[in-house]
Amino acid sequence: MSRLAGVVVGVALIVPATAWAGASGAATNNAAHHTPPNVTITLGTTDRIVSLDPAGSYDLPSWTIIYNVYQTLLKYIPSTTTIVSDAGTCAWQGTGATTYVCTVNPKQFFSNGDPVTAADVAFSFNRINKIANSDGPQSLIAPMKSVTASGDKVTFKLKAADAAWPDVLTTGAGAIVDQKVYSLKSLQPSVAGKIIGSGPYYMASYTPNQLAVFKPNPHYGGNDVLQNSEFIVRYEETATTLVSDVTSGAVDIAYRELNPTQILALEKTSGITVVQGKGIEIRYIVFNLKIQPGSTTAQKLAIRQAVAYLVNRNDIAKNVYKGTVKPLYSIIADALAGHINSFENVYGSSPNVAKAKAVLKAAGVKTPVSFTLWYNTDHYGDADLATELQRQINTGGLFDVSLNTAEWSTYIQAGTTNQYGVSLFGWFPDYPDADDYTGPFYLCDEEWMVNHYCNKQVNVDIAAEEASTVQSVRDAAFAKLQTLTAEDAPLIPIWQGGQVAGVRDGVTGVKSTLDASYTFRFWLIGKS
Amino acid sequence: MASSTGSLRRYFITRLLLVLPMVLILLTLVFMLMRVAPGNPILAALGGHLSPSQLAARERAAGYDKPLIVQYWEYLRQVFTGNLGTTITDHRPVTQIIAQNGAATLELTASAMFVAVVVGIPLGMLAGRMRDTWVDASARIFGIVIYAAPVFFLGLLAQELFGHILNWLPTSSEASVIIQANLTAHTNIPIIDAMIDGQWGDLPDLFAHLVLPAMTLGLVISGVVLRLVRVNVIQTMKGDYVEAARARGLKERDVVVHHAFRNALVPIITVTGLQAALLLSGAVLTEETFNWPGIGNQLIYYLEARDYIAVQGIITLFALAVVAISLIIDLLNAWIDPRVRY
Repeated sequence: MSRLAGVVVGVALIVPATAWAGASGAATNNAAHHTPPNVTITLGTTDRIVSLDPAGSYDLPSWTIIYNVYQTLLKYIPSTTTIVSDAGTCAWQGTGATTYVCTVNPKQFFSNGDPVTAADVAFSFNRINKIANSDGPQSLIAPMKSVTASGDKVTFKLKAADAAWPDVLTTGAGAIVDQKVYSLKSLQPSVAGKIIGSGPYYMASYTPNQLAVFKPNPHYGGNDVLQNSEFIVRYEETATTLVSDVTSGAVDIAYRELNPTQILALEKTSGITVVQGKGIEIRYIVFNLKIQPGSTTAQKLAIRQAVAYLVNRNDIAKNVYKGTVKPLYSIIADALAGHINSFENVYGSSPNVAKAKAVLKAAGVKTPVSFTLWYNTDHYGDADLATELQRQINTGGLFDVSLNTAEWSTYIQAGTTNQYGVSLFGWFPDYPDADDYTGPFYLCDEEWMVNHYCNKQVNVDIAAEEASTVQSVRDAAFAKLQTLTAEDAPLIPIWQGGQVAGVRDGVTGVKSTLDASYTFRFWLIGKS
Repeated sequence: MASSTGSLRRYFITRLLLVLPMVLILLTLVFMLMRVAPGNPILAALGGHLSPSQLAARERAAGYDKPLIVQYWEYLRQVFTGNLGTTITDHRPVTQIIAQNGAATLELTASAMFVAVVVGIPLGMLAGRMRDTWVDASARIFGIVIYAAPVFFLGLLAQELFGHILNWLPTSSEASVIIQANLTAHTNIPIIDAMIDGQWGDLPDLFAHLVLPAMTLGLVISGVVLRLVRVNVIQTMKGDYVEAARARGLKERDVVVHHAFRNALVPIITVTGLQAALLLSGAVLTEETFNWPGIGNQLIYYLEARDYIAVQGIITLFALAVVAISLIIDLLNAWIDPRVRY
């Protein structure tokens, strides 16, 4: 994630938890008095945990557990992208988005009974950088210059204005650990009894890659109300056994990763409901501006625009993914504030061969234009998508697209070292903010997307959205940069994916947790 | 007698010494194959998530930029000091994987071998005894088809039939989720753990979960056993001592079981023992198909994640197991058949 320095205006206060907690009680400590119903929920998944220490994980499977066992200072209200208090109440300080101060809420306790303090919070962030584990989230908290604790206050000083910092605090990187238990220099073993958080659950037992059992944290002081008294996660080897287990009733929920065929099969299975939530994972075509086809800059632009005219996203969503994904007309997912359908505005919602032909002719491009579309199967599973794109782009005889594939490690290396002119890539966001979709792709000095795209005005717009904590100002900047990048088309968005779970009848609460934050909240799941 | 014991000892020592270069070659092969494969654990896990420079920094920090010879030396040193290391992708000691998941593989392979022997030997004897009859033909066809069937395909068919259509048996894992959650791991073999804790009510569930994977893998191996027993029974049935037994008026059943089969046992023991390698490779696929939490199941995951340490550790274990079994069989043969020692 890259951040830009910029002028900062405004002071943003995080919505107090009480504003949201109306339905579930007061902001703090109410849940502690709630006795959860005597219900056991079982969930199957093909996820694999990397580490249950927040300093050693930067992956969704680990974070899914971390979100339920640890608290963060802030969290998202389920089904929204609104941030509220979790273990802390936070606000920007001063006139710039460079100092962020949080007060740790009273009566928050770890599962071992230790109180959660501001010093614990500062310790949690500092140890991520100190340990610098190869799987850790240090790059996510890179915008942080320092974190200090004083009394019940934690002060984050940022290297540059960063309006998305509150979002970072909601992620697994912001999980609070007990400094009396965790080391500053090494990771805590992922063993039940050694993983200590202040979240709604504690880990009662864990057999790696097989089974994890969670029970209510008796010292929990937050405001989440548990709908079950035990939550068990079974780690499955393949999606086939996952489907089999939910079908037979061995598990209540099948969550991640189900392919479109399996989703359709589950939809037809009696006793099972397929629940689709908001998802903000995206897939897109990348043009490497250095080696893509075209002799001049103008020709290269025309080729990209012609491809953008020929892509039929509706057909892809319907035929390739059986309706399990949605067409995407911007690099920013449509569930996020700031999204506009920029590609639809510029190129229309359906393919237009005549316009594609015209734009190529105007730039003097000789047709058919030949290029190889690279795709990957073992990580993204894009074989059908690539075949369909090949068919669509070749329609009208303007292009002669061939396909090639590579195994993931080779693919990612070649894709970022100027070896693929045109390729398919995906993005899984760290947090649901439009900034997570713009900086990594479009900044001139951004290293993540090595496709040599640089538009100075886009840089200015990104700086503007990062510097402001006023949503309308950010939205305006996002709108401008989305239009510019649609016209330049260095990336062509294809689809956005939702989260999907197969749920047995009688299980409740899944729909509300499948939101854009990708936080699977165990406590929301119950049985009717 | 003294000379016979001496030759057996010499053979034993020679055979034992040969194990060392075999293991070293295997370890080297494992190391080189892992390095020849493109990518590394950092790329596999965080590629697409971090920028190339961030990835490179993490690769340096993890030591993947060190010269191969340095990495190879570190690997050998670790193996020979009994330290198989900690996995890169999920920070688990490899010894923990071997203990936890190895126990599940042991349970599966032992059960499968039991099925193979129980099915293969009687059918083989019957086919040998009733040579060129429809019984023999049926047994031979069964043996060929079952051995030729890919274990995962057979597993999927079994899951579909017994799990989904007939709904008789569970199709994945070692136990139902709730039962597994309430078991205390003593040996990491749930059936034994349940017995230790007196949770007898859990046994039907645990055995039910074992049936399909053990039958699938065991039946595949039984094809080899069946054909082997048949051929050797046919051979031994031609022996003079069998004729003599018949001439003494023994019942045909006694002739087959006590004379022909006993003499056919030597090659059967050898080949059945060597099936251990086949059993382990079959276990990888069976575990994947049935979500059986064995070591083969882990091997597939760690291979995909390019986890050098885990893969090296697991394959080293597999290699050592096969070498150890081969050694035991060689010694057993030498003990039974003195001709082997010379």
